[in-house]
Amino acid sequence: MVPVLEEPAPSLRPAPAVMSVAEGSLPADEYDVAVVGGGVNGTGVARDLALRGLRVVLFERHDLAFGASGNSSGMIHGGVRYLSRSPHVTESSCRDSGYIQHIAPHLLFRMPFLMPIKSGLKGRIAIELIDAYFRAYDDYQPLKHGQPHCRLDASDLARLEPGLTGSLVGGITFDEWGIDGARLCTLNALDAIEHGARVHTHTTIEKVTKAPEGSEGGRYVVDGRDLITQQRVRARAHVVVNATGAWSPITAGLGGLPQARVRVRPGKGIHVVLDRRLTNYGILSEAIDGRQIFLEPWQNVSILGTTDDDYYGDLDDVRATSEEVRYLVQGVARVFPSVRTARAIGTYAGVRPTLYAYGRNEDALSREHEVVDHAGDGAPGVYSMIGGKLASYRIFSQELSDLVATREFDVSTPCATHTRPLPGGEHVPDALSLAEEHEMTPVASRRLVYRHGARALRVLERAERRPAELDVVCPCEPVTEAEVRHVVQHELARTVDDVARRTRLGYGACGGMRCAARCGQIVAQERGLPPAEGFAMARAFVERQASTRIVAMGPEQARQEALTMAHLRASLGVES
Amino acid sequence: MSVVVVGAGIAGTAAALAASRAGARVTVVDGGAGASVLWTGGIDGEALVSDEAQSVAAVLDVLLGDCTLVTSTGLRRPARGRDAALLDAAMGPVGVVRCDRPGWDADLVARAAGDAFVAIDCTVLRHTDERVLPDADFAARHDDEARLVWLAERLREGLARAGLRVHALLLPPSLGIERARADALSKLVGVPCGEATAMPGGPPGLRFERARQRALSGVTVLRARATGVERAVGRWRLHVEDQDLDADAVVVAAGGLVGGGLEYQPSEAMLAAALPPTARHAFRCTVDGPLPLGAHGRPLALPGSLFGVAPESLAWPLGRDGNATMDRVGILCDEHGRVAPGLYAVGEIVADAPRTWLAALDSGARAGADAARDVVRAPGVPGARPASAGEAPASRP
Repeated sequence: MVPVLEEPAPSLRPAPAVMSVAEGSLPADEYDVAVVGGGVNGTGVARDLALRGLRVVLFERHDLAFGASGNSSGMIHGGVRYLSRSPHVTESSCRDSGYIQHIAPHLLFRMPFLMPIKSGLKGRIAIELIDAYFRAYDDYQPLKHGQPHCRLDASDLARLEPGLTGSLVGGITFDEWGIDGARLCTLNALDAIEHGARVHTHTTIEKVTKAPEGSEGGRYVVDGRDLITQQRVRARAHVVVNATGAWSPITAGLGGLPQARVRVRPGKGIHVVLDRRLTNYGILSEAIDGRQIFLEPWQNVSILGTTDDDYYGDLDDVRATSEEVRYLVQGVARVFPSVRTARAIGTYAGVRPTLYAYGRNEDALSREHEVVDHAGDGAPGVYSMIGGKLASYRIFSQELSDLVATREFDVSTPCATHTRPLPGGEHVPDALSLAEEHEMTPVASRRLVYRHGARALRVLERAERRPAELDVVCPCEPVTEAEVRHVVQHELARTVDDVARRTRLGYGACGGMRCAARCGQIVAQERGLPPAEGFAMARAFVERQASTRIVAMGPEQARQEALTMAHLRASLGVES
Repeated sequence: MSVVVVGAGIAGTAAALAASRAGARVTVVDGGAGASVLWTGGIDGEALVSDEAQSVAAVLDVLLGDCTLVTSTGLRRPARGRDAALLDAAMGPVGVVRCDRPGWDADLVARAAGDAFVAIDCTVLRHTDERVLPDADFAARHDDEARLVWLAERLREGLARAGLRVHALLLPPSLGIERARADALSKLVGVPCGEATAMPGGPPGLRFERARQRALSGVTVLRARATGVERAVGRWRLHVEDQDLDADAVVVAAGGLVGGGLEYQPSEAMLAAALPPTARHAFRCTVDGPLPLGAHGRPLALPGSLFGVAPESLAWPLGRDGNATMDRVGILCDEHGRVAPGLYAVGEIVADAPRTWLAALDSGARAGADAARDVVRAPGVPGARPASAGEAPASRP
């Protein structure tokens, strides 16, 4: 075993010389728990512990929801696939889905799925089996306020989803719930902050060391660096939680812990975003290798997903490739051919922190989660969260928080994350009457209410003081100037990217061409930066969006892409 | 016996003008809006038609003028020939006029553009609907002389109220479509006035269209799409939808991807079916003929995959590395735009050519003049007149 953490651990990248100079002089803020990672698990734990009265600090290397949490299929599902092997997982998944609906009613939307089944003998048997399977699933639907499944014949299918083709014996419907994962992380972080937590975004951890014996404060010293300002941040905490998903082994290494203890099997998943809601229902289909893939109407767009492939690349820069796009398009086009001519406006990719197993196919890997206690590695009070999925974040956070609160702090306050609404979830204002009151379009007000719930009123309040802020910055979504300023001031957005993650600005059909520059200006103004930095941020954002789009580009779009490039060169001053 | 120009963007217009001034009978085949019409920069339409600018050299002088432009996002940059600034914002304090229209925030523009810029209050909108009118429609209202006088008075009032001495006034993109009104407004106000460049589909593109209309008044314009060009005996034959045009010289100025002269057709559409019937490159020239496509000086090769090339391998969004194939693909030709004797390619459809107004104008004008000389040289053309600069455009037959 490694005698951990006495010495500064070797960092992955050589530390600049400046660091050691500042070493002793940096004041450390005192906390109970330091959480590393701003995904759904990290923010979930931060919120849970903050609600129990503990002092929490959270570090995120990029932005909240930068990794798998913000790049998921956007669903809180009931775990239907675990039904046969471990029904208790299905039950707890469904119950948790119900809880999340309760704490963030504005953020969830019902998403019925349709599973078309091909005709033929195999299909006729399959539909009976699937029907029976979902009959069992129906028992759990009330927990998550879902409808029981339906069995449809071919004519029902044709009526409900005219775009479906092929010879079908019928289909099964089942209910799931959609969610915006990035908003979920933001809301958890916000609530944590409102209960005393401190959240540092764009702050990477450089090392975690044991505090000198006998010194005041927590057991561990966490050293971070703000990647935007390059300023160093130091925190002392009694407990350190590693919630960095696919980055977990890297983070563990920064604390001198053996990376193999938190081994994950990184599984890359990509999604293709199509410019509108193409279908009424989510459609399940089979890919060429028999994997289940889907096309789902999600917020204002449709999403095609997803792949699951071992990933060995840079976790900070995960991109979909045209091969992966072709794989998905081909698979869905077999039942829904018009997807081939639909306009793809982008792709996104994330890496799942699946529990490690060797020799198994990606799909056969467990989606369960696990808490690793590093006391056995000589680091008591250090925990890693590995595995898991978006839908199980709350229960996973609760498990870890229960453990930490009772064992490390002797705090017996019960978990409250399933009863206390997330910020804005207290009630959902009526979007139409808000639209009338504030003379904005119903679409804009509906989207605003979707994202902010009751806090939409705060955004509108500031617009009342300065009506010009109701100007729409991003026409695709739409996002008003007031909302951009709100997320910069109150939701930790520091770049155009961050604003996009929180508001979906620039995630629409134009890829940020119409809004990024203006958003960059506003962000720069709010943060007191020179305008040139605002433009640089906008440019980085638009370039990134364009590179995700290009892999899914069709002929008509190529034409538009060329125009976009020309326009960008003109308006952002990029040399040709 | 004549010159046929395919495309009516900046390159095609320049070629048609040059050829017709050199005495050739010119037909322009116009397939619709392309990059020039959608352009966002502030090209001054007058430059194309004014007497002084009739010679290409004069146009180049106008465009090469050392001036700075400001975009509606507040970015200041030198005009790079593709778009002459209507406003030389290089020096002195500039007033940015506040105006309650979406996408225009004078304070933000002023702040972003630099210290010399100050936002000022002026009445610019005369009717309430102008708050939401598209840029181009709003600009069209200033074609009215009386409206321009009204605006000038408001601007003078605003300046007086602010008690500021400014070097120039920057307005939202709003100054006229039929005629460039910046100069007229500047005279009325007594201070140089200009507008910021803005989104595609704004006033600059429309202004170009109107200027082109006037410039090509002596030229036959055919509203149709050219589909192919082939060598006929001693001449070229152009297929245009349901008819053929014979010409001594053909200038292909059909535009690149934006203009529609080039097509990108990946094989993704085939993915749900079996294999595509044949392997082919992802790019195609929409005018069939002896027009070889290539990039980086080499002809395009067939991709190694039946499903075509991987898009990420041929396009880098902003072409930063200077190697983006999608940005470079086009017709391979010599430096004069000559593909074959009497067949020219100009503007964005040319491989490896810079995608700028200036380059398109230059290549168009030179190829147009060359094409007119081909007409003179063509055998059996006694009627062709020798090229002479400054002559009035040939009238329609």
